[in-house]
Amino acid sequence: MNKVMRKKPHPAWMLWANPILKRYARSRLRPTGLGVALLMTILVAGFFFFLMREGFGRSALSASDVARAPLIPLLIIQGLILFGLGTGQASAGISMEADEGVIDYQRLAPMTPMAKVLGYLFGLPIREWILFFSTLPFTAFSVWKGEVPLAGILQLYAVFVMGALLYHLTGVLAGSVMKNRRWAFLTSTGLVILLYLVIPQAAKFGLVYLKYVTIYPVFYEVYPQLLARPLEELAAGYQEVIPPARFFGLNFPQYVFTLISQGVLSLAMVMMLWRRWKKVDCHLLGKVGATGLFGWLQLMLLGNALPLMESGDLFPTREFSRRFGRLINPNKTSWSPESWEPTIMIGLYGAVTLGFLWWLTFVISAESNGQVRGWRRARKFGNSKLPVLSDAATSVPWTLVMAGMGTIGWFIFADSLATSHWFPALSLLAVTPGAMFLILACGGLGLNALLEWIGRKGTGIVVILAGILPIMLGVIFAVSRDELIAPGVWLAGICPLSWPIYGSGVFFSQEGMPRDVARAVPNAYWFWQGVAVLAVIWLVTKLRESRKRISELSKEF
Amino acid sequence: MSEAAIEIKDLRVDYGDFVAVQDISLSIPYGQVFGLVGPNGAGKTSTFKVLTTLMEPTYGEVTVAGFDIFESAEEARQVMAYMPDLAPVPSDLKLWEFLDFHADTHRLGGRSARRERVEECLRTVNLFEKRNAWCKELSRGQTQRLVLAKTLLHRPKVLILDEPASGLDPLSRREMRFALQGLANEGATIVVSSHILSELAEMCSSLCVMNQGRLLASGSAEEVRRELGRTERHLGVVTFGDPHEVVSWLGDRPGVSEVKVDGCKVGFQFQGEDVAHEKLLMELVNAGLRIRSFEEESSSFEDILVRVAEGNRAE
Repeated sequence: MNKVMRKKPHPAWMLWANPILKRYARSRLRPTGLGVALLMTILVAGFFFFLMREGFGRSALSASDVARAPLIPLLIIQGLILFGLGTGQASAGISMEADEGVIDYQRLAPMTPMAKVLGYLFGLPIREWILFFSTLPFTAFSVWKGEVPLAGILQLYAVFVMGALLYHLTGVLAGSVMKNRRWAFLTSTGLVILLYLVIPQAAKFGLVYLKYVTIYPVFYEVYPQLLARPLEELAAGYQEVIPPARFFGLNFPQYVFTLISQGVLSLAMVMMLWRRWKKVDCHLLGKVGATGLFGWLQLMLLGNALPLMESGDLFPTREFSRRFGRLINPNKTSWSPESWEPTIMIGLYGAVTLGFLWWLTFVISAESNGQVRGWRRARKFGNSKLPVLSDAATSVPWTLVMAGMGTIGWFIFADSLATSHWFPALSLLAVTPGAMFLILACGGLGLNALLEWIGRKGTGIVVILAGILPIMLGVIFAVSRDELIAPGVWLAGICPLSWPIYGSGVFFSQEGMPRDVARAVPNAYWFWQGVAVLAVIWLVTKLRESRKRISELSKEF
Repeated sequence: MSEAAIEIKDLRVDYGDFVAVQDISLSIPYGQVFGLVGPNGAGKTSTFKVLTTLMEPTYGEVTVAGFDIFESAEEARQVMAYMPDLAPVPSDLKLWEFLDFHADTHRLGGRSARRERVEECLRTVNLFEKRNAWCKELSRGQTQRLVLAKTLLHRPKVLILDEPASGLDPLSRREMRFALQGLANEGATIVVSSHILSELAEMCSSLCVMNQGRLLASGSAEEVRRELGRTERHLGVVTFGDPHEVVSWLGDRPGVSEVKVDGCKVGFQFQGEDVAHEKLLMELVNAGLRIRSFEEESSSFEDILVRVAEGNRAE
């Protein structure tokens, strides 16, 4: 029996005793650095606080209305501190540790992987949390004097804190994956911009779930209470048209659904980081975990979108007309979506599904190096096959399963749109489910086979040449001259991301499209789909040969 | 308790098609200073990374202080310490803070107990006076010593030191050698790597020589020399008197060749084992020749490594 006495590692839940958290509290909260940052923050927050109070104080508003004026500027400052600076710090801090080489010391530290994840999550951006807390007295004073209902403000800040944690996790994850600290900082900042400003735009086109990765839904619900009362009434009227958070047959308060959505994503990221701390060279997610996450995302996309279809709350043009049209014509009560909307919405749903499929396929596909290691270990233990769930095993079946799940989700979305009472003239072609599966399977398997056969660098070059370049050239062609629009459509059709968009143009009508485009889209779509099928068959054959070769070589050991 | 501090069985590390470590098996008993020698790219660092749980090997079995490093990595980490090559330190911490953080991860008690231990380790490596300096302000040698102090914090049973003497001045090297020998005397097992053999030969109780991922030989210095078929060394004798007297005395001694005179120094090639080497020295002194000093100018080890490195280049 081994006589070495084992000290119990730090329990992960005892955050205050976490050595990594304490280490960063020590280095990032030094009086000089923190003092300057606090002074700057309080100056900026104080400036806007007094500017808004004094500025509105000269108006005819009541004292409590004036007191509410600084709340939204303060929220923006707090967002910049926690979401912007905090996320950047989380990502740059961890990549700096890797850059300096000291991260290996932390890998060897006898702490549980979860304690390490939490230590970094709360430790790296600890100064930003303190700066955030330093602005709260201004907010608290405004809430108190402004007689703002406490429930609303607490809901808003609960989601705000959860959002910050989600973004900090994104930062830590980016920093753990990126080798270079500048790239890590830029990537995480880019991700925050993407998550906050770009992705939520897709919510306006049917992918309602994507807005729940931000604080917007809760903010829109609560913000009238943050305004002066005359404006609150106006904003509350506007708020009436905001669709509720609905998930299939269930109605949730916005903040509850946002917390659930962000909580699950945070949990997935914690899982990824946990795996990385447990074993440095493993995939961020296992095959089952990645497939489960894909299924969850499909469920959320559908669960939020379907209940809003019949009521019409899902359609962006109808929403726009309803919100602003009623200001012009208050008597009008019936608003309809435009006939071209379902084509765009279905295309976008497919493109986002393909994006998720690529991301998760990338996560679970092993390069040849990983395959060799897996095979040799399997041989060593006398196995003639790789364990199906091991990182080294092929992810082809899992990509196909995800493509199948994506097809089901995409088809349900498209079919619900086609059969809704808003578009009686529309129907889906019989080939639609098969074509949808082909789009997702070709896109997913193509990437999968490239990653497992030629590795990430080679795949990157293919993505640039066959993915990004054709789209860029196509767009330049299309905007340069009318007669080049059709060639532009053909060229952009090479990029797999255009397949769902073109496909939805084929499944439905081409109403509203220019004549040239309407003719070019189906032709380009079917042609490139044919090419894609042949290319993917060839790639999968090559992958099979490559994996077989690695398997045979491993017999020597 | 397991009989060996470190047991390695059939260890193999691949990077794609490149084999960094190929089927190595080793057993290192407790209380030894074990040297891992080899030219650059021999597989030393990969072996160390596996031993320290920083890398999973392609296959193989490794136990440290009786703990299987794959099954019980956290337990193994509690009893071992690792000092990497070109040991890094964080730029945003002071010396005592860096050590206190690591003392905390090992749960070495409350604040005062940790402070005591941190100061003790800083004194061991002669850095106590600099405890409030920033880690980034240290010289290369001081950084090496600081990281050595970090590895000593939790009184590990096994120390794994990758090129610990690189960048150190002769005085620091000697201090480090004494520190390591002291630890070994207290029962710790020390595995130390270097591509400069003279660094290791003096302090190691046993050695192994690696090249291109393979283990060429292992055992005591003498065993390794014998196993690799190299028992010749270049020796030098400095005399107070006439060097030609030494030359004529050496003339018909067994194993002696290529005798050359350079001022008052006589250099020659000697072929023989350590016992014969020792006997030659004793006879030389007893012969009444006025010997000022006697030195081994280059050992057969260096010769071995030079040969190995040249062989690698030729391939």
